[in-house]
Amino acid sequence: MAPSEAIGAARLEALLAGDAPRTTDEARRAALLAQLRGATLGAPEALRARVLAVAPVRRRAFAPRPSRRLVFAVIPAAFAVAVAVAAALVHGLTTGSGSRTVRGAAITTVSHGVAPSVKRPANPPTFSTARGAPSAGGLQSSPSPTLDFAQPAQSALAPAGAANRLQHTDASLQVRVPDVEHLSSATRAATRIATSLGGYAQSIDYQTPQGGNGAAFIELRVPAQNVQRALARLAGLGTLASQEVSVKDLEHALQVESEQVAQLRRRVAALQQALADPALPDAQRVLLQIRLAESKRALAQRLHARKGTVSAGTTARISLVLRTERSVVTPAPPRGRTGRMLHSALGFLGLEGTAALYGLIVLSPLAVLAAFAWLLTRLRRRRDEQRLLAA
Amino acid sequence: MTIGRRRAVPQDVHAVSTTLDAPSARAAAPSFAEVAADQLDAVYRYLVLLTGDRSAAEDLAAETFEKAFRTWRRFDPRRGSPRTWLCQIARTSAIDWFRAEARRKRREETYSRDLEHATELLDGLPGPLEQAVRGLSPAEREVVALRVLLELDGPSAARVLGISQTACSTRLSRALKNLEERIDDGPE
Repeated sequence: MAPSEAIGAARLEALLAGDAPRTTDEARRAALLAQLRGATLGAPEALRARVLAVAPVRRRAFAPRPSRRLVFAVIPAAFAVAVAVAAALVHGLTTGSGSRTVRGAAITTVSHGVAPSVKRPANPPTFSTARGAPSAGGLQSSPSPTLDFAQPAQSALAPAGAANRLQHTDASLQVRVPDVEHLSSATRAATRIATSLGGYAQSIDYQTPQGGNGAAFIELRVPAQNVQRALARLAGLGTLASQEVSVKDLEHALQVESEQVAQLRRRVAALQQALADPALPDAQRVLLQIRLAESKRALAQRLHARKGTVSAGTTARISLVLRTERSVVTPAPPRGRTGRMLHSALGFLGLEGTAALYGLIVLSPLAVLAAFAWLLTRLRRRRDEQRLLAA
Repeated sequence: MTIGRRRAVPQDVHAVSTTLDAPSARAAAPSFAEVAADQLDAVYRYLVLLTGDRSAAEDLAAETFEKAFRTWRRFDPRRGSPRTWLCQIARTSAIDWFRAEARRKRREETYSRDLEHATELLDGLPGPLEQAVRGLSPAEREVVALRVLLELDGPSAARVLGISQTACSTRLSRALKNLEERIDDGPE
């Protein structure tokens, strides 16, 4: 008898399920299946006893362990996210509470050619940092936590550092002017103000695109002792939209650098004195000369750094933006301690995200290679199994 | 009266009871001893047919249940029946055994275990069918064991074999056709 012709998969499934055969071939196949199913084979008693000996009778509550995929992928990922968020929160707690940036917004109306008049804002700006609070990072808060509206607003807004300390002041102002003509004259006036106070304009970016609006971005350097006056006069160039002043204390850095300079100078002197000894062996002389050269180089570096610190402390940087636009960017309301903390934490979280993305980009080729190797290994193993079972 | 929402379960799950007055699923989970007692014969038959060697199948069955006992807490009945799970473990053990046999065969010039003279595979099989089954490759015997003897459904058998359901169905068709041809050809 010839073997059955091809029986479709669906019919074979039906025959396996006990469906009645429709053709002779199917009947033959069904008979074969019945013969196979009729065969019996029970496990030997010895095997049964051996297996059941290790099997506990106690029922277990159904509590499956998490799958390996979960253990190896999801849990580490969740842990990494939790660590990142915790790090961001810690960063926010440690740095957010000590922010020394002083923000203030004056609602002042300045008429050109007319003496400035000050209007009291609906919500007087307040400074969130405590007066004279020492800063962990060397910054110092504004000494005027509240505004005195009896005085001109411009001078009241500008925080003044301690006169006897070396401090770097960094200020940015946004001033609104009515039109392009005023923008031009205000730009020139800003340069004159800086010059008259002993400073200079480092850069001027003057933009007057079509449409009647324009802006000038001016970077000014003024002596530290004149920064208050400069801010007051610059604010008077138009309507002050926002002002941000940060003061960084450089006293500690200067002290450290001075100590290092003194120490290096002492070392240089000692080395020079030692080298003046004619009885010094040649080998030791060479060694001392090398050390002297290193010390001199380090001294030059420290002196340069100290010069930079002193320069930063004696010169304030003012970024002035003059705009003709109606809608000048409204300054962010002063944040409380929690707000600053959250802001700092979010910033740090963003930084972490950037770093993670960077790492992902760098590592992705390796991950692809690893996945490829894993697939290759799996394929090879599968072929090996097929070869074994096909023999 | 049974009141409750039935959940979709694999076809080869033998007992499913979801009622309000019945014990909860946590309590209804079978013990390992119950599973072992229920499935031992099936696993043994599968291994006998796969290896073609009863004594090897005994060892492998014992090894399978030892492994299963060690990983019993990892077994999730929602992902498959105990029979499917045990057959997967048995298959891994059997493949290791095949590897060891292949190494041994390479080492020795003569293959000491001659399947032609081994004891019969299953009780109750007619002689020609017995010979025909022996003539199949292990892969073909395996699929016959899973689908016909153990009556696993297509998806479960495919999962045990690590192949697609279509490939499993094709392999079964080929194995059955091969069996018929061998029966027709008679003993060589």
